Amino acid sequence: PAAGKAHLLGFHQKQLILFTSERRAAARRSSSSSFEVSCEAKTVVIGLAADSGCGKSTFMRRLTSVFGGAAEPPRGGNPDSNTLISDVTTVICLDDYHSLDRTGRKEKGVTALDPRANNFDLMYEQVKAIKDGKAIEKPIYNHVTGLLDPPELIQPPKILVIEGLHPMYDARVRDLLDFSIYLDISNDVKFAWKIQRDMAERGHSLESIKASIQARKPDFDAYIDPQKKYADAVIEVLPTQLIPGDNEGKVLRVRLIMKEGLKYFKPVYLFDEGSTINWIPCGRKLTCSYPGIKFFYGPDSYFSNEVSLLEMDGQFDRLEELIYVESHLSNLSTKFYGEVTQQLLKHSDFPGSNNGTGLFQTIVGLKIRDLYEQLIAETAATPAEAAKV
Amino acid sequence: ALALVARSAPSTPPDIAAKVSESIKKAEEACAGENTEGECAAAWDEVEELSAAASHARDKLKENDPLENYCKDNPETDECRTYED
Repeated sequence: PAAGKAHLLGFHQKQLILFTSERRAAARRSSSSSFEVSCEAKTVVIGLAADSGCGKSTFMRRLTSVFGGAAEPPRGGNPDSNTLISDVTTVICLDDYHSLDRTGRKEKGVTALDPRANNFDLMYEQVKAIKDGKAIEKPIYNHVTGLLDPPELIQPPKILVIEGLHPMYDARVRDLLDFSIYLDISNDVKFAWKIQRDMAERGHSLESIKASIQARKPDFDAYIDPQKKYADAVIEVLPTQLIPGDNEGKVLRVRLIMKEGLKYFKPVYLFDEGSTINWIPCGRKLTCSYPGIKFFYGPDSYFSNEVSLLEMDGQFDRLEELIYVESHLSNLSTKFYGEVTQQLLKHSDFPGSNNGTGLFQTIVGLKIRDLYEQLIAETAATPAEAAKV
Repeated sequence: ALALVARSAPSTPPDIAAKVSESIKKAEEACAGENTEGECAAAWDEVEELSAAASHARDKLKENDPLENYCKDNPETDECRTYED
């Protein structure tokens, strides 16, 4: 580029324009190559916490899709492996760090939610090793047999996602996370979702589903729920307020709670940053069917943290609604106009694609891509410092 | 309506389905006695774990497209050939 500049001085105006566009293309090429080099240096670690049966796997599929390519179990390995690998992301399930298998938990009378059933020392050591660029031999918890299977080899990816019940429970593991998300499903919605999931199953009844939720609740409240205060983003799923008395779990009120003041994460906002806004997008420009759509945006406080809150109640019927809403949101970290809508349309068959769960999961996916790119760019800009780390 | 949806969706592989219903029976027994809080919770937790595994197994079957599976092994046949342009 320096030699090019010297040449430029003698160039005609027209040619100069041509040349700058070429230089820009060269800059793009070089940035993509430095992107690859620096990726080998450090793995970005994301934590996702949620209860069993609360849509973690759908979220994971949306997240990996933002980075492109499909996520698949490790090739030729254990068919019951919980790991998903794509070009950019590797998702590991924290159940693999159970210290007690199913029989062990029964003997001791503890659930999988109980910290005593989990090996946080190993979890910390292995996540730390991945972050330092070292491959690990991670155990496999087999959900069908309830046994701990022989370990599988995990190579350090560009992005490691640890998903499960306890990603933010242990302070050492928590400190390794570059970003953390908590999926907070209200009891009514959890019950409705589990009915949808289990009612057809032989042996299950309303009573057994209720009993299972009730029996696990004390441990859930004691060990899982408190993690949400550490999360950088929380997605709350509640029954709708648009239909009085509705708790079927079909129409949902979903809230995206985003921590303020983080270096690589700028919360999404509606119309005007920091204002408090109620918005019903249905009217002259947009026809919505019953029960319509309602948005809320505003500053709030969450476990004494300053947060921004974006809420959507209701569901989409048509594409026009999605793109109309997207065009009024800012700080989405999209690469082109309509990317959120495109992502949702790509997976219209996933649960939640027509409501706030799909919308906010996709937005969080884009924010994670942005955070990753910022972190990588920073590492590339200061190679000396990165080497020291 | 719930029953209709259930019928059209793929059913759980029989071995997992049997494990789910067995675990429910055991959980109901484990919670019948007194002072069995821990055992009762652990038993219902097992039900949850197996129900989740059953649901994942059903999802896997749903993704199983007979033509896609055939084409993985036979990409050169008439029904599977695709051209980029």
